[in-house]
Amino acid sequence: MSTIAYITFRGMLGRRRALLLFALPAVLLLLSIGLRLTGNADLDTATALLTQFGLGALLPLLALLAGTGVISPEIDDGQIMYLMTKPIARPVISTTKYLVAVVLVIGFGVVPIFISAVIMNGLTAGLATGFALGALVGGIAYCALFIAIAVVSRFAVTIGLIYALVWENLLARYAAGAKTLSIRQWAISITDLTTNATAVTSDVHGSTAVPLLVALTAIGVLFAGWKLRTLSITGTD
Amino acid sequence: MTSVIHDIGYRHYDGPRLGRSYAVRSLFLHNLRAAYGLGRPAKTKIMPFFLFVIMLLPAAISVAVTALASSIGSGQPVELIRYSAYAIYLQAPIAIFLAAQAPVLVSRDLRFHVLPLYFSRPLSRMDYVLAKFGALATAMFILVGTPITILFVGALATKQKHLGTHALHYAGGLGGCLILALVLAGLGLVVSAFTPRRGFGVTAVMAVYLISTAAVGAVQGIAENQTNFTIARWAGIFTPFDLVDGVQVWALRAKVSSPEPPPSGIGGPVFTLACAAVVAGSLAILFLRFRKAGAQ
Amino acid sequence: MSVLELRDVSRWYGNVVAVNGVTMTVGPGVTGLLGPNGAGKSTLIHMMGGFLSPSNGQVGIDGQRIWKNPSVYRHIGLVPEREAAYDFLTGRQFIRSMAKLHKLPQPGAAADRALGMVEMLPPADRAIGTYSKGMKQRVKMASALVHDPAVLLLDEPFNGMDPRQRLQLMDLIRKMAAEGRTVLFSSHILEEVERLAHHIEVIVAGRHAASGDFRAIRRLMTDRPHMFAIRSSDDRRLAAALIADASTRGVELTASGLAVEAVDFRRFAQLLPQVARTADIRLLEVSPADESLESVFSYLVAS
Repeated sequence: MSTIAYITFRGMLGRRRALLLFALPAVLLLLSIGLRLTGNADLDTATALLTQFGLGALLPLLALLAGTGVISPEIDDGQIMYLMTKPIARPVISTTKYLVAVVLVIGFGVVPIFISAVIMNGLTAGLATGFALGALVGGIAYCALFIAIAVVSRFAVTIGLIYALVWENLLARYAAGAKTLSIRQWAISITDLTTNATAVTSDVHGSTAVPLLVALTAIGVLFAGWKLRTLSITGTD
Repeated sequence: MTSVIHDIGYRHYDGPRLGRSYAVRSLFLHNLRAAYGLGRPAKTKIMPFFLFVIMLLPAAISVAVTALASSIGSGQPVELIRYSAYAIYLQAPIAIFLAAQAPVLVSRDLRFHVLPLYFSRPLSRMDYVLAKFGALATAMFILVGTPITILFVGALATKQKHLGTHALHYAGGLGGCLILALVLAGLGLVVSAFTPRRGFGVTAVMAVYLISTAAVGAVQGIAENQTNFTIARWAGIFTPFDLVDGVQVWALRAKVSSPEPPPSGIGGPVFTLACAAVVAGSLAILFLRFRKAGAQ
Repeated sequence: MSVLELRDVSRWYGNVVAVNGVTMTVGPGVTGLLGPNGAGKSTLIHMMGGFLSPSNGQVGIDGQRIWKNPSVYRHIGLVPEREAAYDFLTGRQFIRSMAKLHKLPQPGAAADRALGMVEMLPPADRAIGTYSKGMKQRVKMASALVHDPAVLLLDEPFNGMDPRQRLQLMDLIRKMAAEGRTVLFSSHILEEVERLAHHIEVIVAGRHAASGDFRAIRRLMTDRPHMFAIRSSDDRRLAAALIADASTRGVELTASGLAVEAVDFRRFAQLLPQVARTADIRLLEVSPADESLESVFSYLVAS
């Protein structure tokens, strides 16, 4: 299992992917530093930045990059064959890769979000811990969803984008039902539970969000493992 | 025994050759079709057509609602969506289309190392770049132009008032769509041209759009809270949709659709220059990229 | 653990049938899987390697199913044709990872041994992305050997190898087979198969066309005349004597001897020395003109 993690990490931290992985949180950090230096870093502003930019753009994008990047290129090129022709249960392969994706999202998403909140507001009102926790559970769920899609479809990235942008951004704004089924809203509600800043409000109650988060994560990881057992490698494009 | 090659009837082709312009035209057409998945396996058609339909839906609904309202005679004028605002409102599907299809045009050529094949024909590097750019820009123009054409046709059909103004606004909207198509195509191709992997290219293009939009949105929101409108207005230059909207507002006299109009005075010309710079810069970067990519 | 069994295996993709009702048993020794391009060799090897499920039939090793059965990979080593190894790892890191994934007790030592077998120890610390095609192929070979499997499946293993590497690989395969392993390799290059395989399986258009030693297969093709090239002390008289018998269909006098077309091999084989003795003609050279694998193969493909 650690060997799979080793190979996956080495693959993910190649030059171009690493560039994007570092650049995305860098923008957030720069913005928060800028806000702090210009004296605009009050709780409301920080909440707005962390919710819309942090949870709404940075987190799903990183999860997409990590969640699909840990497995899609290997399936495309057929290299996953080297992992599959070993006496290892297939779910172990997919779950290990999932965990690698989560670690990457934590490192490049959750931690910068925490640092960004601290830069802007220190530790007041538990804002930093709140957003970090929200990002953590959101990242865990996003990665599960995206890796499940990645095992099934070659167009996983585009499908994931349509979910993150069309479903979570457009539809969720206008349809209450879509809001309840949005990972981003679940993450916000966890943040709301953890922090006592009044600026953070969530539209989905924690009691709905938590079970849905757990359910989606479990279903995603299990499905990925199940589907990998019957993956055919034909080696064509 | 000396070696010899016998003449067994192999002939050079001496007939008419269609030349460079034909090659460029064919490349352009092929890529335009590929942007919509035409001429490729069925699975590649799903995404572009799905997004195209999503683009058309609001226009169709708007026309239907207007027709219904006027036939019921509700007395209140129901307005169609503004022509110049359509693309700005529907940023998300447009961006997804760009992210999904720009890599289709560029990444495959890089991944399968077919560039030497292209360039051993009477096709210069610039021809290749222009053909690809033209194809993607045309594809984007069709994507954003068709819905507003539907709006205009709907306006004619439901006999809206002031059809002359409608026609003027429609023409202006089309102009905005053209600029948007050029800017987006340039950005999308530049980002995709640096990776041979389609999936990664999609994410990268999307990341550029999403991060720029979110960052600018955050800055604008905060600046507005501080009633610092100058910064809010200048921030729009860093995201393609607001940038093009700025040009629309200044050059085409449209009403503003993005959160903030460009700054008064030199704002408009600067935005326009920025647009031109983005397009020209993209073409230049693509040319440099493909100059040395032939050997890869 | 050494016998691969395929029973009535078929694989189709929609309307296209790639493999059609193939039944075969692959035992210890070197077996060559022979067929023209597109005959279904890769599909068969992928099914034997557990990457594709057969649409019909069963693929098993010593009674155990291969599909959805990862534990069977302890005994199978697979060298795919296309799939490249991880570019960003060095040869040594890659093989060592493979050894660890096989849960070998001493992965480093096993990795070095496997790399030594394919003569990849010197460049083992360079990234695989910098290797030449032949080196990449050898690294893939090492990855299949590291866990000392009883069955080796090689899909077009000589692709991209220069003559020296090809000879080395042939020696390696012979050695593996001599140790009692089952080695199956696919190829459409007849000289390789002729030199290496004791036993061939011929696949044509998805169907199992023939199996066994190629000379024996040739004998079994009784509906095709056998060609012989004969040099004797008096070709013309020999020709006249041979054509008198029903076992000879045609005789041709050429500048380099007699070209005889015999429809009944056994009868002709008895006839020739008798005729030569009776007519007092000395036979200088008798050789079958179409018993090469190439002609066998072309007969099979043509039918």
